[in-house]
Amino acid sequence: MLINTGIATQELIKKLIPSPERRARGPYAMVECFQEIPCNPCSTSCPFGAILPMKDINDIPTIDLDRCTGCGICAGVCPGLAIFIIDESKGDGTATVTIPYEFRPLPEKGETVRAVNRQGNIIGDGVVTRILASKKTKTPLITVQIPAELVYEVRFLNLIDDKSNSEEPSSTYQSVVTDDLSSKVLDTVEIDDTAGTENDEDEIIICRCEGLTLGVIRDLIREGYTTVDEIKRISRAGMGPCQARTCGPLIASEIARMTGQPIAEIQPSAHRPPVKPLPIEFFLGGDSE
Amino acid sequence: MTLPKSASIVIIGGGISGCAIAWNLANRGIKDIVVLEKDTLANGSTGRCGAGIRMQWAAEKNCRLAQYSVDFFEMANETLQYERDIEFEQCGYLIVAVNEKEAEQFKKNVKLQNSLGIPSVYLTPEEAREIVPILDTSQFVAATFCQKDGHLNPFHTTDAFALAAERLGVKIFKHTEVTGIDVKNGRIGSVETTRGRIATDIVVNAAGGWSKAIGAMADIDIPTYVQRHQVLVTEPLEPIFSPMVMGFSYNIYIQQVPHGSIIMGRSDNTEPLDFRTTSGWKFVEEMTKTCSKLLPALRTANILRQWAGHYCMTEDAQPIYGPVPGLEGMYLACGFSGHGFMLAPATAQLITEMILGESLTIDVSDLDVGRFERRELVFEHSVV
Repeated sequence: MLINTGIATQELIKKLIPSPERRARGPYAMVECFQEIPCNPCSTSCPFGAILPMKDINDIPTIDLDRCTGCGICAGVCPGLAIFIIDESKGDGTATVTIPYEFRPLPEKGETVRAVNRQGNIIGDGVVTRILASKKTKTPLITVQIPAELVYEVRFLNLIDDKSNSEEPSSTYQSVVTDDLSSKVLDTVEIDDTAGTENDEDEIIICRCEGLTLGVIRDLIREGYTTVDEIKRISRAGMGPCQARTCGPLIASEIARMTGQPIAEIQPSAHRPPVKPLPIEFFLGGDSE
Repeated sequence: MTLPKSASIVIIGGGISGCAIAWNLANRGIKDIVVLEKDTLANGSTGRCGAGIRMQWAAEKNCRLAQYSVDFFEMANETLQYERDIEFEQCGYLIVAVNEKEAEQFKKNVKLQNSLGIPSVYLTPEEAREIVPILDTSQFVAATFCQKDGHLNPFHTTDAFALAAERLGVKIFKHTEVTGIDVKNGRIGSVETTRGRIATDIVVNAAGGWSKAIGAMADIDIPTYVQRHQVLVTEPLEPIFSPMVMGFSYNIYIQQVPHGSIIMGRSDNTEPLDFRTTSGWKFVEEMTKTCSKLLPALRTANILRQWAGHYCMTEDAQPIYGPVPGLEGMYLACGFSGHGFMLAPATAQLITEMILGESLTIDVSDLDVGRFERRELVFEHSVV
């Protein structure tokens, strides 16, 4: 399953591919987000309203491709690096994929790079045609020109260490994922077609710091842990770097729903300094270096 | 669940002590036990503590109490049939001495501890550094280490005792505050709560910081007082060091807990003596200073949260165990002065033995409430 491998299946990807007319018209975003988690920057960042407003922060984003211009803002803000900009409009047998790339050093424009698929395997070469380093999102967007038939496969790039010899992939990335491993992973992939059922909802990640699902929270509420604090103590939800900013309200609303208490009566857990993570040395003041 | 009209024993306080006592009594076959907790379980000192468990004490009695408790914790998941995990990790306590005087005392401590079967060892700073590589060895002259000391999850441990007690028929009432205690002819008659009255002959006062207020309801003076103590925790990091590092003169306890976060705390005699559990700036400034001297590598670790709880203190920083002269039926298990969590299994055993009129596994008759009037205080110097 996706939740076990982290690799989207062909079936999931196929559902995202737009009509031939739209593909020919110009660049568009492919939002490869299949896991319901409390996350919405894509929908709030789109200046064209193409990623539709979410009813619930756990919703999977819905994109209106008539409005999408392929600008790439959503690709830069997505914390999961799950959005790619595809441009197949050139019609000369090549296409481009724009990849959010959070590594250093960045490639240079015109540089040949290795084109890597979702499993981490090198499946060809590409040429960098554009680098967008947004100061706001801090996630550079690298546009790579590749053979058109690979545009739904290539989702990452590797730099070529020895730029004078672009024939052989360098050994540093060969060892990362072996063919054996990736084929094994693919063989075990199952399609989750139970979307919308209660079971499916149970797999929603409620607490990203600790990776806790809604199902875990619901089990605890059923066992009688009916305050935000009690759930925090037993499960650690709210003890992580976000300090309950994300999970706190979600847990409170689930307690309200399951126990029938008004949400206003659910006591949130205490918020404590420093509120935002700060290094120990920050507090040392001026008398140390 | 409605409050029963009567109970054989009413335990006031749903912290580690109250829950452990309830389980222990029920395990001995006592029926109709009720635990009253004004908030949620482990909401007082238990859930706010530094979560360390140690046997390295300077006083023999404390060594024995801790030793009994460690033996219990080692098998607690099984004993209490807990389906989750109380997370007892025997990752050791490393205690540093900052001067020769303290080092001499540490040698005596180790000798005493070894004579009781506690496997502590005396170390040079270099040897200590082999156990905790990020220690600045210029900051201390000697250390002691006991591998069988460790860390325990306060929430899960309280939960484990509470669930096991409930399976044995104990009724635990959360969000139920005691508002009065009726005394007739020097005997406990009933306990008044926000949800009704329970007739009972026996009350166990395990209310921690609130033990004094509970005593006052029965017109007795329990010489405990509360003091705020603060703790801070960093983000979870890759494993760096596993023992609790502690210094009495240094005034620090610090540990990377099994989950990866680093928890640290210190004492401050200027802290307020009331129920405040707000967070203060002075603590974080002093704490980070102390920490970065002894363990300079931690300077870049991100602090996620500081919090506060209180110690239920006594004049000699030792617990109060046992009955109250002149008030038949009240038993005290309070005044733990910061060590109630780690001593809970021993506490539960001793209070059970007292109620059942059995001989005590560990003689704690000198830790009675009368010692303060008699001025027979029992001091323990190995405290932060």
